[in-house]
Amino acid sequence: MFDAGNTLVWIVWIVAAFACLGSGIAVVSFTNPFFSALALIGNLGALAVLYLLLSAEFVAAAQVLVYAGAVMVMFLFVIAYLGGRADAPWAGGPSWQQVGAVAAAGAILVEIVVAIGLKAGGRLAHQQHVLSSFGSPHAIGRLFLTDHLLAFEITSIVLLVAAIGGVILGSHSRKLAGEKAL
Amino acid sequence: MTEPWWISLIKAFLIINLVMLAFAYTTLLERKLLGRMQLRYGPNRAGPYGSLQPIADLIKLIRKESFFPSSAIDLPYIVAPVISMFTALAAFSVIPFGAGWHLWHWHVDGEIANVSIALIVVFALGSLGIYGFIIGGWASESKYSLLGSMRTCAQLVSYEVSLALSVLGVVLMAGSLSLVDIVHKQGTTIPYAAPQVIGLLCFFVAGIAETNRAPFDLPEADTELVAGYHTEYSGMRWGLFQTAEYINMITLSALMVTLFFAGWHGPYAPLGPLWFFLKLLAVVSIFIWLKATLPRLRYDQLMRFGWKVLLPVATLNAVVTAALVVAF
Repeated sequence: MFDAGNTLVWIVWIVAAFACLGSGIAVVSFTNPFFSALALIGNLGALAVLYLLLSAEFVAAAQVLVYAGAVMVMFLFVIAYLGGRADAPWAGGPSWQQVGAVAAAGAILVEIVVAIGLKAGGRLAHQQHVLSSFGSPHAIGRLFLTDHLLAFEITSIVLLVAAIGGVILGSHSRKLAGEKAL
Repeated sequence: MTEPWWISLIKAFLIINLVMLAFAYTTLLERKLLGRMQLRYGPNRAGPYGSLQPIADLIKLIRKESFFPSSAIDLPYIVAPVISMFTALAAFSVIPFGAGWHLWHWHVDGEIANVSIALIVVFALGSLGIYGFIIGGWASESKYSLLGSMRTCAQLVSYEVSLALSVLGVVLMAGSLSLVDIVHKQGTTIPYAAPQVIGLLCFFVAGIAETNRAPFDLPEADTELVAGYHTEYSGMRWGLFQTAEYINMITLSALMVTLFFAGWHGPYAPLGPLWFFLKLLAVVSIFIWLKATLPRLRYDQLMRFGWKVLLPVATLNAVVTAALVVAF
């Protein structure tokens, strides 16, 4: 699928990669949280394009459906209700958070440099031919129920716990409201 | 055999224009049908039997002033209808409308794009379409618009879950997420409306809510919210929102025809688009018929129905179908 000689793929990759970086910077730079959330949607969408280039169509579509679609709607929902409380960009969060962010960014930078170095040295495995079934719903479903069964089941339990937690929190706040009314 | 890229391009251009034409005449069909159901004539002045009414409406909307609230946030305010329109039109690209034909020595597919995850693509575009409503309502800087867009979003997010679950039965029976495969499979067996009748009902009800049609047209409950998220819009910007809503309805009807009524299959295969069109017309007419018949629900009734009735039924349908597919 990915052919290095294909200029179109390169153009799409460059556009998507820069859109990804630009929207990422925009998320932390906007003063209005609504615009930050919109930039995050752009970031997730650009990531989906990158997945498409890696012939992971299913992951790309799921990314748009779940993250760019459902999750971010909730973000916008809350922000629109609370109103635009403008914070100065880069502000907020305790100092350990800033230290952690710098450390994480440094770690990723080191990782990128190492990966580029390995690639340049020709020591990174380079599989030119990807199977046509790679990334298809069939292949992903089979992997979920064979190689990654444990992780798959643990995820389902985590989601179930979250759903039950949501119901309990909802009924709890309703009970509090009822007491106030009495 | 694959078709050359320029055939896809021509086809995409034709389909977009056909969908726009279908939208224009859906508005006329709606006004005519509603009129006859309410014992009046409906539009009958522009052209024979009022057949030029959509053109007249279009000219009126384009010439009208596009009012712009002074406190609105310009860029999102202008972009919002465009997002709605784009996602509505793009969703049609994966819907198959014919078996494919040979013209001279070229092969023409019966759909614009045959992707293995077509169904997820439609849902993904639908979930992006919500942003048009929420951004438009927020950027208008009006309480009615904001409340209207919140209500629209809550409704769409709630019913999207049931909509996706209700088609799981079809996906399990066909063993594919590709709409082309699903239609082919129905051609060799039976239309899935018969075995998946509960799924069909769930899909239809969720689909009505998803496209803001009566009796679930709460986002535009004018007695409560003026006009919902598009209160501050006028002229062709408002027109784009309306177009997106109607095209969403057409796309959803097309999806229903594809998933449950064997798509373009009919007595004579080369006439596939004709059968597809007739089935689509029937489904769209049912949407309009419901609008003339049923009164609007209350908001809490809508939410209770969506989460406590529709979702469990759709889930149960998917689970039972899965068990039966494994058993046989």
